[in-house]
Amino acid sequence: MISGLTRVDWNSWKLGQVSRQKKDALFDLACRLALLCSESRTKGQSTVVSRAADSERRKSLRFGFELLENGSDEESLEQGFEEECRAEGLEGGDLLEYTMVLAGLKSLERGEHPFIALRRMTAFLGTEYFDKAGSWMKDYLKRRKADKPMTFLVPGDFPDVVRTLALDGHSLERVLRAGGRGLASAALAGCPQESVELAKPVFGPLGGAVLEDDAQYLRRHLSGDEISQAQSALLELITNLEEGGELELTEEEELYGEPDFVDELTRAVMSLEERDLKPALKNYDPRLLAMAMQGMQPEAHERILGMLPKKDERRVLNAVDSMILLPRREIEAAARTLAERIIGSLRKTQGGDSPQIPQFARIRDWPTVDQTG
Amino acid sequence: MIRWNAELSRRLACGDDEKRALGPLIRRFIELSRKARREGFASLEADEEPGIDDPLFKVGIKLVGEGISGDGLEEILTTYLLVSDEKGWPFLKSCVIVDGLVSLADGDEPALIVRKLVSYYGADRALNALQELEGSAP
Repeated sequence: MISGLTRVDWNSWKLGQVSRQKKDALFDLACRLALLCSESRTKGQSTVVSRAADSERRKSLRFGFELLENGSDEESLEQGFEEECRAEGLEGGDLLEYTMVLAGLKSLERGEHPFIALRRMTAFLGTEYFDKAGSWMKDYLKRRKADKPMTFLVPGDFPDVVRTLALDGHSLERVLRAGGRGLASAALAGCPQESVELAKPVFGPLGGAVLEDDAQYLRRHLSGDEISQAQSALLELITNLEEGGELELTEEEELYGEPDFVDELTRAVMSLEERDLKPALKNYDPRLLAMAMQGMQPEAHERILGMLPKKDERRVLNAVDSMILLPRREIEAAARTLAERIIGSLRKTQGGDSPQIPQFARIRDWPTVDQTG
Repeated sequence: MIRWNAELSRRLACGDDEKRALGPLIRRFIELSRKARREGFASLEADEEPGIDDPLFKVGIKLVGEGISGDGLEEILTTYLLVSDEKGWPFLKSCVIVDGLVSLADGDEPALIVRKLVSYYGADRALNALQELEGSAP
């Protein structure tokens, strides 16, 4: 049984029919409160509430701000609003407004994400406002200026485990959902941005934005120990899921290129003169090149980047920066495509006698992960 | 502690024929739970034949997709129930949907989902309903 329903005082819950016009006005009010929740997370609750209280004309909000300014916690907010609604004999649209504002202020007091606050508040307006709230959130994401994510790394294996889980999207989803988004955000607060990028798609565009913002928020509000505890809790959960046969982790080695392959590819690239490599790389897809470079040693990176015009070099570096660590399968596939391109280019410039062609042919024909098992 | 709310009981009251219609709804939640474990939650949103044509269900599935679970999900879905002013069978059905969605989001095993949801049949019919649902499970 849904516990919230058993606590409802049905006799005092008299909504009746609330007009569309009133609900539209309440939707705008909910959006305004959601923005305050967002501001409160960056500037601090007391600053935001005292500024908002000065200019607020709406009675319900003024009442709530006053309670918060007087140091009310969630429980006393609830009590204050209940007493006010009873004393004023509120019904219908007014009762709905006070109840919705209370939900928003509780979110603000808890430091919840503005999207969660908006979902809580707009639920009072009925299912027909759900998509409208979703559109507002998408607009909010487009409009806001994204801060450069601050990094705070907690020592440990967790980022590596996230990478391994991400090789099979369902495994990462299974773990993050079993732990809950709150625990996931706390654990990711101590990870590089790459881990957050891998986890975001699990919850879709809106849920992913909440996860990323919460991880960023918690980086400033949790201690290193607390973040470590969250990571340990998720690692323990992974062990339990594995033991229960609900999760099968891919081997970590599969994230990197095979060492023999990396050596062979690096040697092949280093054997090329500028006149051989430059035409092959001309107008080559920077993302594909960046993927192939994950299968080379650093000296080959330098050789390639050094031969690119500045503009192309920047594009490849941007692609490298935005790229998550790839599984072996994808790195080798990109390297095979690059090898094919270089062979074609060598044939054009040197004919079929180029001594480098057999080297790149070995890369092109390298057995795939599936072939080698 | 067992909470009791007389008005809530009145709202949930409905006929035996209507309660029988809970079977297909509960079976659907079992299928959805298996699908989510197999293919991920995004597959539930993309499901073209969700089999539950209800606005609260559609909203709930999207909330679950966004990663809202546990108490937060229950509170939001309960708010939708509160403002709907439903009574009788529609209210009972909505309560089952809310409980089913919360269970789904919490990653409950199908067997646990069935045990939670058959309670809506009432004490006198829950055991029969459980045997029937488990007997017909694929």
